[in-house]
Amino acid sequence: MIKKFTTKMRDPKERKFFYTLFGGKLMGAGLCLLLMWAAFAYFEGSATRAHADDTAVKTEASPAAPAAPATPAPAVADALPPYVNPINTAWVLLGGFLVFGMQAGFTMLEAGFCRERETVNVLVECMFDTCVCGILHWAFGFAIMFGGGNALFGWHLPGDPTKSLIFMKDVSLLATYGSTGIPILAHFLFQFAFADCASTICSGAMVGRTRFWGDILYSIGVSGLIYPVFGHWCWGPDGFLATMGSTGGFLAGLGMNFHDFAGSTVVHSIGGWVAIAGALVLGPRLGRRFKRDGGEPMLPHNIVIAVIGALILWFGWYGFNPCSTLSIMDNVGVARVAANTTLAACGGGIAAVLWVYFRTRKWDVISIVNGSLAGLVAITCPCYWVSNAGSIVIGLVAGVLVVLATDLLEHLRIDDPVGAWPVHGVCGIWGTLCLGLFASGEYSAAGSSPTGVPSIVPGSADALTGLFYGGGMKVLMAQCIGSLVVCTATFVTAMVMFKALDAVSLLRVSKEGELAGFDLDQHGSEAYPKSAGAHWSEGKASS
Amino acid sequence: MNKIEAIIKPFKLDEVKEALSEIGIQGMTVSEVKGFGRQKGQTEVFRGSEYTVDFVPKMKLEIVVADDMVDRVVKTIQETAKTGKIGDGKIFVWPIKRAVRIRTAEVDEAAV
Repeated sequence: MIKKFTTKMRDPKERKFFYTLFGGKLMGAGLCLLLMWAAFAYFEGSATRAHADDTAVKTEASPAAPAAPATPAPAVADALPPYVNPINTAWVLLGGFLVFGMQAGFTMLEAGFCRERETVNVLVECMFDTCVCGILHWAFGFAIMFGGGNALFGWHLPGDPTKSLIFMKDVSLLATYGSTGIPILAHFLFQFAFADCASTICSGAMVGRTRFWGDILYSIGVSGLIYPVFGHWCWGPDGFLATMGSTGGFLAGLGMNFHDFAGSTVVHSIGGWVAIAGALVLGPRLGRRFKRDGGEPMLPHNIVIAVIGALILWFGWYGFNPCSTLSIMDNVGVARVAANTTLAACGGGIAAVLWVYFRTRKWDVISIVNGSLAGLVAITCPCYWVSNAGSIVIGLVAGVLVVLATDLLEHLRIDDPVGAWPVHGVCGIWGTLCLGLFASGEYSAAGSSPTGVPSIVPGSADALTGLFYGGGMKVLMAQCIGSLVVCTATFVTAMVMFKALDAVSLLRVSKEGELAGFDLDQHGSEAYPKSAGAHWSEGKASS
Repeated sequence: MNKIEAIIKPFKLDEVKEALSEIGIQGMTVSEVKGFGRQKGQTEVFRGSEYTVDFVPKMKLEIVVADDMVDRVVKTIQETAKTGKIGDGKIFVWPIKRAVRIRTAEVDEAAV
């Protein structure tokens, strides 16, 4: 494709065409940003900035504790009322259960979008990769991702290098994670549910032609290596993106670290970019002809299940985002996150369905589904730090982006049956960058606190302020760098992994198997067996 | 005896069935099929883009009648199933060599 581009560029006419088109696109993007900024200036200009100092704020003397700190704070913990840690633990476990419930949503969404002949494969893959992820995350995934260690990966209990988290070996009954007050195993459960989401997202683009051995091996690669290591960079206590911009850290001069509240980059971008790497290496399903070649789409076999799956995902997102505070004592923060999550989803759905309506004069069901999911993915990073109005705009843009990204895949002849890359890969990046644009400057940069609502001076260095609120480019730069680093690392590693699997014929199912019946070939069963009356016979009558 | 095979638009099935029972037809077999003629498919929207889908849903009726009924049945179906718009369908007439009623073992004209 690059060769084709360079040979085309030698022709001056083609060059002019390209520059015109590119210039037009840049102007369009610039116009969108300008409109967003103008809307902001109108809505937010007159509102006072001092919301965080309202009387509702609890006055407990707590430091602005980061969500994943390097050292525990035992002195403060001793002064806490005894109900705080159990209540926070219940909150985190509730989050884990809700996010785990998203597996049902993912399974239904993927099964509904694929054809009947590949449905059993989707069902088995979703169950199997959940089981694999659970074991791997317990064994070393959690340790690598959330353990203390070095800037690239971890292995020990944060703050105590003598205690290993590998196989939860030295996890005593009383061990809690950092200063969150949450028992390690509860935090593990919550994070396992997130890891499971990332691992399931990848399978969406690879439906219908992946050999099951390939499924198993790449699940191990994602849950065991890609997600924990790259996740450690963002969320680990000493991950280089989490500590970026501080003295002695990566890019110390930047003065700002990378933020990702609940995982637009860590979960969704990683999932989406592994997905597209897989789709690229696999190639399209047999018989798939793309729109530019006059082909028809491979229609979803059960739109009802797909839409219900999307609603279950939205419901599970109420655990994904609000419970990422790891603390219900910050009830104000939790409420804000839940509201922002809702608004972005609504904005995304409306924008996508309207965009498609004006294009085709039809109200498209799949667009509204993917639009809502795109809004949810986008708000996942900035949800703690943006205003309600900001969330709506973030969702609206995500809804349009997902439709455009889907068109791009169709144009590039990449077969992504459920739209995993447009929803998670592209909107994950958009959501990550949104923090740099829409962070309102009123909320603690360190995130939530286990003891109460963090009280900070709005607009100070303790708050995250984005470009549209006068915070300058610092946060946006940090977000760009973080997103670029993680997405590039993910895509490159995933391509290497899939190419390696493909080289030993473990990735793609055989042509005969795919033509004869993918589910029959890999799983020996059909999702919708056609019995042709075989079960109705009463047996031979006795004489 | 002849078999009349008619491919019609799905929403016309009830009308055609009523009209046929008025002229004395007491049985038929119906199946859901897909096809196209010069109609050349229809436009559907999927994931935000328009596509031309080649095969359009239709209903197929199969009725076996005695020779003297054939013309009346064909005329009734053609008049009732017609909408005047493209995609109305077609009627084919096949010769039938033998027919048997399973319950009574009646043969040929007595079986239809």
